[in-house]
Amino acid sequence: MALRKPYLLLGSVTLWIILGHILRGKNTLQIDTYENTSFTSFVGKRALELRGNRSESPAFIYFFNPIRGAIDGFVQVIRNLIAVPAPNSVIPIIGWLGVVAIIGFVVFATSQWRTALLSISLLLACGALGMWQFTMDSIAMTLAAVLLSLAIGIPLGIWAGLSDKVLKILTPFLDLAQILPTLVYMAPIALIFMIGAASATIATMIYSIPICIRITSHAIRNLDRSPIEAAESMGSTHKQTLIKVQIPMAKQMIVLGINQTVMAAVSFVVVAALIGAPGLGKPVIEALIIRNVGQGFVAGFAVVFLAILMDRSTSAAAKKQTTFVPPTEKEFKRKRFTLIGSGVVALVGIFISRTILWAAVWPKEIDISPQVERIANDATSWILDNLYIFTVGFKDFISYAILNPLETQLSASPWFVTVAMIVALALIIGDVRTGILAFVLAMAIVVSGLWYEAMLTLTQTIVGCLLTMIIGIALGIWTGRSDRVEKTLRPFLDAGQTLPAFVYLVPMLGLFGPTRFTAIATGIVYAIPVVVKIVCEGIRAVPHSLIEAATAAGSTTRQIITKVQLPAAKKTILLATNQGLIYVLAVVVIGGFVGAGGLGYLVIVGNSKPELQGKGLIAGAAILLLGVIFDRIMQAGARRSA
Amino acid sequence: MKSLFNRRSAVVTVVVSAALILSGCSKSVNDSAGGTSGDCGSWAIAMHAWGGYTASAQVVAEVAKKELGCTITQTTLDEGPTTYDAMEAGTIDVVIEDWGGGRWQEWLDRGAIADAGENGNVGLIGMYVAPWMAAKYPDITDSKNLNKYADLFKTADSGGKGAWFEGPAGYTTIGEKMVSANKLNFKVIFSGSEAALVDGFTKAEANKTPFIGYAWQPWTLFAKIPNLESGHVHFPANDWTDPALASGLTDYPATPLVKLISKNLNDANDPFTSLVKNFKWTNDDQNGVAADLEGGMTAEAAAQKWIDAHADIVAGWLGK
Repeated sequence: MALRKPYLLLGSVTLWIILGHILRGKNTLQIDTYENTSFTSFVGKRALELRGNRSESPAFIYFFNPIRGAIDGFVQVIRNLIAVPAPNSVIPIIGWLGVVAIIGFVVFATSQWRTALLSISLLLACGALGMWQFTMDSIAMTLAAVLLSLAIGIPLGIWAGLSDKVLKILTPFLDLAQILPTLVYMAPIALIFMIGAASATIATMIYSIPICIRITSHAIRNLDRSPIEAAESMGSTHKQTLIKVQIPMAKQMIVLGINQTVMAAVSFVVVAALIGAPGLGKPVIEALIIRNVGQGFVAGFAVVFLAILMDRSTSAAAKKQTTFVPPTEKEFKRKRFTLIGSGVVALVGIFISRTILWAAVWPKEIDISPQVERIANDATSWILDNLYIFTVGFKDFISYAILNPLETQLSASPWFVTVAMIVALALIIGDVRTGILAFVLAMAIVVSGLWYEAMLTLTQTIVGCLLTMIIGIALGIWTGRSDRVEKTLRPFLDAGQTLPAFVYLVPMLGLFGPTRFTAIATGIVYAIPVVVKIVCEGIRAVPHSLIEAATAAGSTTRQIITKVQLPAAKKTILLATNQGLIYVLAVVVIGGFVGAGGLGYLVIVGNSKPELQGKGLIAGAAILLLGVIFDRIMQAGARRSA
Repeated sequence: MKSLFNRRSAVVTVVVSAALILSGCSKSVNDSAGGTSGDCGSWAIAMHAWGGYTASAQVVAEVAKKELGCTITQTTLDEGPTTYDAMEAGTIDVVIEDWGGGRWQEWLDRGAIADAGENGNVGLIGMYVAPWMAAKYPDITDSKNLNKYADLFKTADSGGKGAWFEGPAGYTTIGEKMVSANKLNFKVIFSGSEAALVDGFTKAEANKTPFIGYAWQPWTLFAKIPNLESGHVHFPANDWTDPALASGLTDYPATPLVKLISKNLNDANDPFTSLVKNFKWTNDDQNGVAADLEGGMTAEAAAQKWIDAHADIVAGWLGK
């Protein structure tokens, strides 16, 4: 069986290439980008009706609109507190000094002075970048989304942790939400909740709640059974066991879940600006549109600072409680003293920020953004001027060597040939169930009328993932084998994961021009950190005994990598490939902004042209279907290789 | 450990609640800062993120703030339906420049938004080749000769045909029809954003590489590439009043750009309502401000510079 699989794969790919070649250009289902099918125009009409009905239909009057109103109000309260002028006022309730003081204090109280100092410096850095108000807006939006996510996610997570049935019902939704490229669900949400803070909050929640539910239920499920059994044998009710034993025991893991929920919400800050969220996303998107790389970087840095601030302060809170050495009476008193002292300082800070103007509104004089902008612009234009020839050469090479042949194969073959191929792949890599699922989903794309565009996006995703895996596995092996390399690369990987893709979309545009490859390159940059991290962990998890045995047998380093570490980490690498595919797909679609076409462009154009709205919505759904096909095939592959 | 944690959280609770109480009752800066006066209300202007739009919107915002004492919020969002929805929801009050040729009709019909007249700018859309090409191949600007040069425009991405770079997503584009109706041997590539087109034209002109793309005026690119107009490719003129004839053989028609306002603003009869309705300026005016913006000036400064230099026009908008 193990021997047959590669041959089967090779055979079906060969057959596919031959069939595609013979039948090229037939049944490709290509239609003009600006042309509707009866299905897309039907959906478009329904969407238009939905818009018109917003003030009349009961579903809106009694359900959606109140939700929108409530969330809008909630967000507005938080914004008034720190970000925008409160009603009848010219400043927010707490000025910048007050915000710095209170965040510094809370971080100090929940973790340690170093983290507090870091948080304060990061906040001040955002201010110095001239981004104070945007940063506060982003914090307010994140806070609102996180609070609501936790309010829903933690109870659901606990429930799913206690009941297998609930977990079983929730799992497909959780999987789906994690595959869902962010660009996709913006339009439907905006259609129902309109552009603005409410839509942005809900979109952020869809992204962050699944993580919260997953980690919370995991925390409850993986508890040590003995204390729970002890409590039950002593006659505790389920409720008592839950509140007195299980939740306290799971607390630390749940705090980790909060940390991850916060990070998900922060990573959404930029995308949320596409549907009217106030905050740092605004300058980032603006920079893309007016093509000001420097401005993009200034705002991008603020996003990264904000992410570090949120990450360090919440993860420190999670770690803090792990000390098992009880504090001495003296330490205890000192801690209490410093705590009260810093509390008083924080209160004074807030008071000043409400009474003195310089402490209320960030002083305009302190703004280094022009300098940073200039440096970023100069650096970028130097790179563009000097590397353009090479990058274009590379782009053309990849285009002629891989991209064009693959695109022809996928988009110019008859649809049924490609569907058959996808199903065959699913059957060979996965099992019968995967095959049936792949068939149903692929047929759904065919029926949607966007098959041709889906094939363009598929091509870009596959090429992007291929390049990502080549670079990612190489870097992953390197970091997995050396602590020093890992330490050096870590900050770059972390920054790469938090820096919004929109920030480097413009420099990529400069390097590769308005082409498909710009989208692919952006996707690669976005996906590499996560792939490197997973591969690195996989390499590290290979038992030392195996490597020692190989070394003892006289294997060279290369042999150890190719014969021991890679095969042993096969499952992890497959999972990394899956993540790579999903990440590349999520970003390749924003390539619609820079000439990559495909489904992403249809989503974008659907947002701005009423007559193509239906097509845009369907394109979003088709992206999701592609994502699910990838995910299921790769997951099945990983399961079988285990 | 436990007691430490509890006491610590007690201190935190005390401090945070004290902070909230403090922020509730202490005398705040506002009382001394003295808010802006005047009978103008609080309004939101949509900021569509292209240079020309920013110029117009910022000038209106500055005049409203400084001359009328209005409170103006500027919200960046996508043009078209998303903006009309926001206007219907009451979060946006003004679109200062819309190219849409009636795409707002259904919102207008149900009274969600109102037409505030033309803003004086005239939108001209067309297909342009990089100007160096117009100089080297003088007959290229006639659409009939495009096929002769199609090979020049081939790229790795255009599938053996010439690459034809179409306009940004929200813009009026008929490239696919122009190509098929004129039987052009070109492949339409949807550039997706202004940035992509700027990149394409600038590089093509600098490196003398072939490029044909969508361009419009007023647009600051025409200031950066001064002879871009010479690259205008002319298509057979046609009758735009007849949809069948206008289905793609033609060039784009000139579009007078319009202003749209929310129902609230229209009904309010606020000084800002009349400012927006009166606002009108020329393509040159807008290009001037937009060029300053592009040159690195802040939007406020660029707008103020124009306002200071054109006090008479501003006075006209204010009905003085």
